[in-house]
Amino acid sequence: MLRYVLTRFAIWIPSVLIVMLAVYALAFYGAGDPIKLIFLRAPGDVAYNPQRIEAIRESAGLNKPFIEQFGFYIWNLLHGQFGNSLTSGRSVWAMVSAAAPVSFQLALCSIVLTAVVAIPLGMIAALNQNTRLDYTILGSALFLWAIPAYVAGPLLMVALIVLLPMIKVPYGWGGVLDVRILLPLIVLSFQPIALIVRQTRAAVIEVLSEDFVRTARAKGVPEIIVALRHILRPVLTPVVTQLGLIMITIVNGAIFVELVFGLPGLGRLTVQALTNSDYPVILAITLIGSFLVMASNLLVDVLYPLLDPRANDARRSR
Amino acid sequence: MTDRNEGKSAQGTQMSRREALKLGLAAGVGLTVFGMNARIVFADEGQVLKVAHPAFDQDWSPLRGGGRPFRWNSIWWASPMYFDSEGKIKPYVFTSWDSPDNKVWTFKIDPKAVFSDGSKITSADVKGSWEVASMPNTKSQRADQVLSKVQGYKEISGGSGNELTGVATPDEGTVVVTLTEVDPIFFMRLANHIAPITKAAQSRGSDGEEVADWYKPDSKPVFSGPFKLTSLDIDAGKLVFEPNENFFGPKPKLARIEITSVEDNVTATSLINSGEFNAHTELVTSTIIQDLGPEFSSGPLIPTSQHFWFNVTRAPMDDPKVRQALIMAIDRDGLFKASYPDGPHKKADQILNSVPGADNSGFEPYPYDPAAAKKLLAESSYGGPERLPKILFVGISAPAIEAAAQFIAEQWRQNLGITAVDMKPQQDSYAGPDQNAVQIFRDDVGTRVPDAVSYLAGCIASTSSNAQNKLGGYKNEKVDAALAEAATKASDDPQRIKLAQDAQKAFRDDWAFIPWYSQAMSRWATKEVKGMEKNLDWQVVAPWDISVG
Repeated sequence: MLRYVLTRFAIWIPSVLIVMLAVYALAFYGAGDPIKLIFLRAPGDVAYNPQRIEAIRESAGLNKPFIEQFGFYIWNLLHGQFGNSLTSGRSVWAMVSAAAPVSFQLALCSIVLTAVVAIPLGMIAALNQNTRLDYTILGSALFLWAIPAYVAGPLLMVALIVLLPMIKVPYGWGGVLDVRILLPLIVLSFQPIALIVRQTRAAVIEVLSEDFVRTARAKGVPEIIVALRHILRPVLTPVVTQLGLIMITIVNGAIFVELVFGLPGLGRLTVQALTNSDYPVILAITLIGSFLVMASNLLVDVLYPLLDPRANDARRSR
Repeated sequence: MTDRNEGKSAQGTQMSRREALKLGLAAGVGLTVFGMNARIVFADEGQVLKVAHPAFDQDWSPLRGGGRPFRWNSIWWASPMYFDSEGKIKPYVFTSWDSPDNKVWTFKIDPKAVFSDGSKITSADVKGSWEVASMPNTKSQRADQVLSKVQGYKEISGGSGNELTGVATPDEGTVVVTLTEVDPIFFMRLANHIAPITKAAQSRGSDGEEVADWYKPDSKPVFSGPFKLTSLDIDAGKLVFEPNENFFGPKPKLARIEITSVEDNVTATSLINSGEFNAHTELVTSTIIQDLGPEFSSGPLIPTSQHFWFNVTRAPMDDPKVRQALIMAIDRDGLFKASYPDGPHKKADQILNSVPGADNSGFEPYPYDPAAAKKLLAESSYGGPERLPKILFVGISAPAIEAAAQFIAEQWRQNLGITAVDMKPQQDSYAGPDQNAVQIFRDDVGTRVPDAVSYLAGCIASTSSNAQNKLGGYKNEKVDAALAEAATKASDDPQRIKLAQDAQKAFRDDWAFIPWYSQAMSRWATKEVKGMEKNLDWQVVAPWDISVG
């Protein structure tokens, strides 16, 4: 297992280097000069002085050739230094390490909520295939799937708070025990829930026709036991795979959710860094995002044999 | 069953699948339920001003001189002088100013002026504050506006010096400033918070550069304004200010000011509507009056205006008849109603507003005459709408701006038959494939002093950023000559105003912009909040007078 994890990590490093080179090139040659933006973004009659801009750029080492700057960045990265933000001058590491736990907790909560809500709903739909209950669950899932987070957030905000003043505006971060987390979490979980409901339903329907289910039922095993012991376990393998893959959906959705609900996570930091063309921050977030996706996929691979012994056997035989 | 038993025996004392799953589930639930930073939030009561701030700003240094944090500089920093809500200059740290020749200025510091630790504000603090604001690495966005004519500024801001040689401190209560050229309104340029007065020993290092994080509570800074920063959670976007007990001006009425980053306008509006917040740094939506009432954004007009600027060097704007046709084809009353039907702004007919000389300036508003516009387009070198290249707007970045731009495009379609019009939200940094085809820039222009010459010098003089970047290197000898001569006249000399008006009239004949609106300086506070009047510099005029309820 250790060798497997190390191999995956070794493959990840060159992939990330290529991604970072591409991101660095896009930031370097693309639209938006971070130093000019500091001046141009200020409302009012700001007339920046080109000589002053050059002095700032030189001081920050931004007038050096592309490859030299990138090489310097990677060298620093290998020494554990992410550099400083070009806009605020703050340590990128400090910014990222403050934001990452918020996003991490949010993502984890979203995955747990998705699993807790979507797997039972998918099973109920499958066990009541082609009934009104099935259609309702499936239809609702399709409806949720069609609403992106950046639409759901403001819509719920207006509906629940402005039109029907039912709750206080859930703004800001007070940890996952804070009641304000509920609305953003629901919005963030819309699409993952829809996806997992459909995935679970399809998988359960497939398992229902298996011999071991028929046998269990023929032996008079109670339906609830059949569902939880005989059907759920084989179904979990593809569902857990999907739960790992929806990390990307959650990361994307978090950008809007964090903005709308004022959660100081990586999504909010990303928007700020992109707006300012602050590429040391953009690169650090890219690195973390890439690591998160790799780690979630790795976790899924590691969980496979735990959920389905056949996967372990297959790996041993290789 | 056999497989399971074999698996178990092979693993021996190792963890079983069931145990591993349970452990994983427990860890997930544990991290989720007992997450870090969990806390119960209690509502605050009393005289607390709760402000929603529209950006997740990571840099609140008062020396930046721009950006949205700058809007709150007056609550924690004192300026040399300040303008009140009626545009009248008032003493603050400086009690008097004098210059017989408009080139060497002498300022006297209020002997009662002290920092929050009780120490005196000295001339050395003033000099050091101005010097650190001028250093390129400080990245002050507007130090140029205040200090560019001070001897030594050019060298210090260009990175070749670290001292303003034109600033002398004969004693701790006197500052003498020598300029590189005559400037009769230099004293007015200082009356703002662009380069606030800080304790130089804290804000400036031995190398002349700004000390990193010097203003954060951890650094134990002292403040010169009515409030002091007592808490700063930059990662959560939250700042707390409390009264400065040693403030040398009137005693502040508020017990606390809390500023929280709320980037989303819908969320901010909801928070203000629900009473959880009672002020905003800058909330601009086209439905703001309906959402938050007329009091929220009411305020006097300030010397800032929004227009659509033509790049006169790019086709088809290189033909004056096309420019004239495009302007005359627009019903500007309709344009204003399309964007701000209920205010708080006011339709503009010219550039100048809220400065001496804006009224009766002799600038004849551009007429709305679709028939004449059509004729002019036919007479132009393009012969009509068919041969015009696509017209591209940039800076179309907010709902009200989109409404205005769409109105313009529709008027051109109806009145001139022009259909190829495109819009992009990006402004100065636009770098799309059509970058070299951008002909119209939507942007504001304005001034920080109640002076017509300063206003026009910043937008139509050939040396201005607006003329160079938005108007495509616009240059009109008459405009430049009138503004250059006007700049040498005293602020109360009628000739100064007359020459500025002449410059604006000369600019009119070039048909280079679509006038849109004159800007009101909104309170951006609910009606319960008193004393939120802002000055030309976007600052709360008398922050010590703010009260809630």
